Amino acid sequence: MDATVTPLRVALVGVPNCGKTALFNRLTGSRQKVANYPGVTVERREGERVAADGRVLRVLDLPGTYSLNPTTLDEAITRDVLLGRLVDAPSPELVVCVVDAVHLPIGLRLVLEVKRLGLPMVLALNRMDVAKRRGVKIDAARLAQELGVAVLPTVAVRRGGADTLIDAIESAKWAGHRGLSSPAWQETTAEDAEQFQSDLRGILAAVGYAPPADNDLGKRVDVVLLHPLGGLLVLAVIMFLMFQAVFSWAEAPMDLIERAMAALGAWVGAHLPAGALSSLLVNGVIAGAGSVLVFLPQIILLFFFILALEDSGYLPRAAYVLDRWMGFVGLSGRAFIPLLSSHACAIPGIMAARTIPNWRDRLTTIMIAPLMTCSARIPVYTLLISAMIPNRAIGWFNLRGLIMFGLYVGGILSALLVAFVMKQFAGKRQYSPLMLELPDFQWPHGGNLLLGLWERVKIFMNRVGGIILALMIVLWFLSTYPAPPLDATGPAIQYSFAGKLGALLEHVFRPIGFNWQISIALVPGLAAREVAVGALGTVYAMSAAGDDLSSQLQPVIASGWSLATACSLIAWYVFAPQCLSTLAVVKRETNSWRYPLIMAGYLFALAYIAAFITYRVVAAWA
Amino acid sequence: MKSTDLNSTSLPLAELRRGDVALVTGLANNSVLPQNANDAALLSRLRDLGFTAGARCEVMARMWLGGDPLVVRVGGSTFALRRAEASAVCVQRLQEQVRPSAALEPKDASAATA
Repeated sequence: MDATVTPLRVALVGVPNCGKTALFNRLTGSRQKVANYPGVTVERREGERVAADGRVLRVLDLPGTYSLNPTTLDEAITRDVLLGRLVDAPSPELVVCVVDAVHLPIGLRLVLEVKRLGLPMVLALNRMDVAKRRGVKIDAARLAQELGVAVLPTVAVRRGGADTLIDAIESAKWAGHRGLSSPAWQETTAEDAEQFQSDLRGILAAVGYAPPADNDLGKRVDVVLLHPLGGLLVLAVIMFLMFQAVFSWAEAPMDLIERAMAALGAWVGAHLPAGALSSLLVNGVIAGAGSVLVFLPQIILLFFFILALEDSGYLPRAAYVLDRWMGFVGLSGRAFIPLLSSHACAIPGIMAARTIPNWRDRLTTIMIAPLMTCSARIPVYTLLISAMIPNRAIGWFNLRGLIMFGLYVGGILSALLVAFVMKQFAGKRQYSPLMLELPDFQWPHGGNLLLGLWERVKIFMNRVGGIILALMIVLWFLSTYPAPPLDATGPAIQYSFAGKLGALLEHVFRPIGFNWQISIALVPGLAAREVAVGALGTVYAMSAAGDDLSSQLQPVIASGWSLATACSLIAWYVFAPQCLSTLAVVKRETNSWRYPLIMAGYLFALAYIAAFITYRVVAAWA
Repeated sequence: MKSTDLNSTSLPLAELRRGDVALVTGLANNSVLPQNANDAALLSRLRDLGFTAGARCEVMARMWLGGDPLVVRVGGSTFALRRAEASAVCVQRLQEQVRPSAALEPKDASAATA
């Protein structure tokens, strides 16, 4: 039978915050793949499970939605997948409706809507442990009887907590469901909505649903977190601690990686005969890619905090507290979450903006996302700050940490300013409601957190091993050839392609204080910001004379650059759109060249102006 | 604790104060929504979230100066709404300004659902 060859398609459907993704992780383990749906950039999370009898199940985690009448792109995708409307994504052979038992009514309403599509389905009654603890009563057997589908209680965050569901899925009668025609669906009318409501009330009464007892602790915490002033203070403290932690905790592992790289470079240099190959490995690969790899600990920590905050249910509360303030510059509180993710990387941030229903709000959020200090800027900032700023304590804090914090604040403030300017040009826009669910608090689940982190680490390592390594090798080539003439007096790199290019670019960048080494490094840095550090590493390694090859970048900068140059480069990095992937994602998300071009244009202009002013001011002062 | 008699007049959810408990009587017609809103989508989403006749709701928090946005618990779930969409929900006040801690006592909850 073909069932052993063609994987069986299972789709998870549920409202946001119902624990669907935790259940997905439980079903598929780490065998998952994140990609995009064809033609759109909605994240497609798919994983595989091998059933006890050897059949392969392909499990799809559909974006959470409250209804099949979509208000966002994400929600539209969920509907379209269920209806089999997407190319390459035929409608699922089994739908697993995930319902949070604690919040049964809102989840069950969606179940009624999905059930009407007539697809084979089972219902996972999730978070049963919390439901029991909070006195929620549900007669699961009766619920199954009322709905006419199997109801399986689950605790997705507990090992073995989904075993009954897994059994039900694996033993579902599959053969008959193949080749079904696409289910019928039409927009819900007012009468339908009434019908769903009265059905819902009937079922809730029949299963004896009693709403959860108030979560005493959660309620008390909310009094503070949702307080107009208290909420803002808590948010500020959380952000500050998060960024302080990223820099202080990452120090030790970063030192370790740095020393390992230096040792590796020295070892290779000592064991290979001097020549082109040794130079390529030591100066190109190890000095280049290695100097980017050093920042892995910081990036892991940053993603750890963001994922943990996301898991805890805190982020929508921060969005609520900020909504009014963000409204002044024409942003919705919903924009907070994409903008926070942009601190890790603008790409997931820009993609997360899809949860903003209003196009204008979404566009503004996309356009300012690259101004958030992404993790790729960390290498540049850290390098320059540790080279130029003394490591001094100021009160409880560290001067370097404070300056770093200032850069983050600067990025945010300039983003708000840009949003404000955009608002003036936008004209009258459609009103877009907030309507944001504030989920129950929960402790972030270790396993889910690790899985999320692992995904991010893989992406970063692929970048280091892929584009960054390739660019480093190209740069090494450009800065090695052509070889200097025999009567050369300056460092060899000045006679190479890269040296000549840098000399040319220096004309453009001299007014803002960049020397030719920086000018060269900016070229590969256009592809990805963090590459500039690697590139500087390569350029300086190549321009150093003889035995000095292994010299570290930091002391070179500390002695060779003026404070004004370093500050100017930092200012440049706050704004410059040096990330082709970001521009490509903007092109994809807005489906036009117009917005990425506007973005690149305004960011370059801001970068040049800011660097120019910074250079002049610091030069006059220092 | 101050408890008022059941007030039969309907008022917008946006008029409730923090700690107020109310019963949803229905959704308003479009006239109360901002002129530039997509009324049908907004109203149907409110319905999907559980703001339907007979649902019990409670205002958990409000911002200063106009209380925009506000946090409402309905059907066991909690949502942040702006004034605009909260004006579209018609409610009947059951209890006025219960102190947050007092709202946790079971006898209040039974009084509210009665």
